[in-house]
Amino acid sequence: MMILSEKSKNDPSAVLYRRCTIDLDSQAVSFEDVPCRNLEDVMGGFGRSFQMLSERKIENAYCRENPLIVNTGLLTGTSVMTGLRAYFSAYSPLKQSNKGLPAAMWSAGSGNFGNKLKWTGIDEVIFENCSASPVYAVFSEGESGPVVELKPAGHLLGLSGHKKIMSLQKEYPNAHFAAIGPAGENYRSVYMGAVILSTDNQLKSGEPKNRFAGRGGMGSMMGYKNLLAIVAQSSDKPGKITPIMRDVNHDVLKNGGSARFQPVSQGGGGGTWANIEVLQAFHAVPMNNFRPKNNDEVEQQFRDHVEKEFEVVSEACYHCGIRCHNNLFYRNPDGSRGPLAAKYDFEPLILFGANIGIYEPAQVSELIHLCDQLGMDAISCGSTLSYVLDYNERHPEKPVFNGATFGQFDAIKALMEETGRGECAEIGRGVKRLSEQLMETSYAVHVKGLELPAYLPETNPGYIFAIAGGHMSMGTHMLYAKEGKRSVDEWVQVITTQGLLQVGYDMLGLCKFVGVGMGHDLIIRAIREATGLDFTSAEIVAAVRRAYLRGLALELRQGFEDVEYTLPSQVMDNPNSNVTLPHFITDEFIAQLKQKVWSVFLPEMAGLLPDPDEKNEK
Amino acid sequence: MQVTVKLFASFRIKWFKEATREYPQGVEVLDIVNEIGIPVNDLGIALINGCHASLNDKLQDGDIVSLMPLIGGG
Repeated sequence: MMILSEKSKNDPSAVLYRRCTIDLDSQAVSFEDVPCRNLEDVMGGFGRSFQMLSERKIENAYCRENPLIVNTGLLTGTSVMTGLRAYFSAYSPLKQSNKGLPAAMWSAGSGNFGNKLKWTGIDEVIFENCSASPVYAVFSEGESGPVVELKPAGHLLGLSGHKKIMSLQKEYPNAHFAAIGPAGENYRSVYMGAVILSTDNQLKSGEPKNRFAGRGGMGSMMGYKNLLAIVAQSSDKPGKITPIMRDVNHDVLKNGGSARFQPVSQGGGGGTWANIEVLQAFHAVPMNNFRPKNNDEVEQQFRDHVEKEFEVVSEACYHCGIRCHNNLFYRNPDGSRGPLAAKYDFEPLILFGANIGIYEPAQVSELIHLCDQLGMDAISCGSTLSYVLDYNERHPEKPVFNGATFGQFDAIKALMEETGRGECAEIGRGVKRLSEQLMETSYAVHVKGLELPAYLPETNPGYIFAIAGGHMSMGTHMLYAKEGKRSVDEWVQVITTQGLLQVGYDMLGLCKFVGVGMGHDLIIRAIREATGLDFTSAEIVAAVRRAYLRGLALELRQGFEDVEYTLPSQVMDNPNSNVTLPHFITDEFIAQLKQKVWSVFLPEMAGLLPDPDEKNEK
Repeated sequence: MQVTVKLFASFRIKWFKEATREYPQGVEVLDIVNEIGIPVNDLGIALINGCHASLNDKLQDGDIVSLMPLIGGG
């Protein structure tokens, strides 16, 4: 990234980013320094990639014209704490409108890959077309700029993402990696393949402590392109820690938004794990396919219960002081720490635990670990499996697949394994397609074809307006439990002002666990100190808003219709009386909410998208 | 009057799970938070008899007040 010193510090055109385009078919590589068109380009991440995707008319995710864009954010690779995100964007094989058109998606991941990519001198990579044979891409620093190589990857086929990474590490020291697992390789029958990102902890310990860019099947897109891994090899170039930057990072660590993710022993809330206990107070923890029961079985997943059997270690990404990774280790007979069991974060532990009727921590760990090894998105895999179990419980006379239902660990594990290996396309293509095939859609827990995370849909009508994953692109998922608001106007207000700004983190390169609003002074100070650029809070918020609305406009252009902006019909038609929070989402509520939200958004969306036909003709 | 206080998650680990205590008439949620020693900025959710409450809500004899830390993330 280059900033022209002769221009104003708040002029987007002063910023040029380095783009590398690779034609996987011809293996041609080109570089260009691209001037930013607007602040969304400057901020980066999906703010930039979605502008590029909007210039293409894509009718099938698995087509050669669908690019895979790998990029970073403005603060990735800087000394701002958590500034290490990488983004993977494309038209998604998983999220698709009823008209059959794929939605634009992005997925974000931490680890240290994003930093390393940026430190090679590249801000963005566009993978065009498909390779005829399996390859991996290597980006490294050369004497006169970044160097790119495509190398045969046949020897990596069939390996888990972790094993691919550990194999490549032997050849590429001082590098970090993005890879796919068997799920991504079997992209034809698995649309929920994740991108697996290496961490320093993984490379040092040899244990599978990965982070994931899981949502929307970006790993499946890598598989389609025959791109099994990406290597970013560079010396470390974190920015200087100036006194101002030290203050910024101190504020990142100490503000209330991030403190809740710190270990309890450090005065924090214990990470996302703590959410279980709070949500259980309302009987709002997903159980048996998002239908909480009025019992205390979930308490077996409380941290102090799990610690009786496992050692829990809080760890962090590269140079991050927010130790949000809760890694579970087996205990040796002598009481010492044994091998890693799994990463025990909220989503996987609920979706492979209570939501499928499994409560034994050792079994939950085994399923989390297996899903990670296969390289599937835990949310999509977990929510689709829970649907299968629910269907089979409802149809004992005519079950599907192996007949698995809630709590049947061995049968569930077998289904997961088959799915990740590409042997069960009905599950691998996600819950929307499966439920339509089985003609029982009311309890298929997705919105617009993307499975919902482990927060009940009856607590969050904001899911309807999430553009790239229920809770990662609309920050309203715990609002009901926190504040108890349930009027239409309150939800309109939060969706149209505060919730949508969540996506700003997926532009800047920061982790959402920083936990402050996009208009916060901390963001402005971080940008100024790390880059010298000087944008106001209002400019940042406006750019994030435009980027979000561009994503929403892109959904409409890809054929999403009014009927698809809704929650699973079970929420409205068959409220769960076990949830102690009052039921408030009715068909009428949703109709009013949509009418009011669209009346705010639609006028602002005008003119945000280019005409793709015009671009295609060029 | 008697008020039952229930603490959750990190609050439960740091202080106690449940206790029924004597308080003067007119006691507010904030008074109880301060008495326990919970930093106000760490408080995420307060409920009175299962309904969301604010710090200045007054309690009645026999009420159950639930206090929970900030939650977030995914």
